[in-house]
Amino acid sequence: MAHPVVHWQALVRDPQRAASFYEAAFGWKIDDANALGYRTVEAAGRGIGGGLWPLPDGQPMVQLFVEVPDVDAALAAASANGAGVIIPKQVLPDGDEMAVIADPEGVAWGIMRART
Amino acid sequence: MVLAEFERRRRANARFSVRSFALVLGLDSASLSQVLRGRRKLSARAAASLAAKLGFAARQRDVAVNESLRRSHERRVLRQVARTAFVPSSRALARRLRLRADDVNAALARLLRDGRLAMISTTRWVVTEKEKE
Repeated sequence: MAHPVVHWQALVRDPQRAASFYEAAFGWKIDDANALGYRTVEAAGRGIGGGLWPLPDGQPMVQLFVEVPDVDAALAAASANGAGVIIPKQVLPDGDEMAVIADPEGVAWGIMRART
Repeated sequence: MVLAEFERRRRANARFSVRSFALVLGLDSASLSQVLRGRRKLSARAAASLAAKLGFAARQRDVAVNESLRRSHERRVLRQVARTAFVPSSRALARRLRLRADDVNAALARLLRDGRLAMISTTRWVVTEKEKE
């Protein structure tokens, strides 16, 4: 089964400043009313939703998230095919599960399973 | 400018010498000593060159201060996570630590990336063995 890209995440130095820019420049609706204070960007029209998260280090970047039915199984499949695990599975306060891998080309991908 | 920066560094470190400062600025210490005593005036070009060097040093200092602050936030977050009454929420952490939620999340982003913290359920975060090493 093919797993779809359902979410993007911009890793930025200053999420508040970034949110102000995206609201002004792109008209995006951004909401942080959740336990993490994670800034979610509403999907507009044909687009997909995303979010803003602080950059741990390095250059700002955009990460795509692939939705899977089982994060552990997806990590095992990715590892078996040469990926490295950057962040193992985490359970977020709202129940979503996420992990981050680096594929064999070095591209960082988020893996997620939305709460049921 | 040069004297003010020298005095600032001297206040931060009483052992900071004219010789050390001369090394930072790429000058010989006798010339720098004369500049600091006001016995020698700097040309506009020399002043601009020193300002650039001091600006660069100031940026390095800012980076060091920011890094130290971030590490302090990480330690404070981990101390809270280790408490028995801890509630997994950046907002609650921010209130308790009197930080912005973005600062808490910046700490979480690094702690997760470094494997020092794990979110193992919706109600439980733990400090990992890696952090305890």
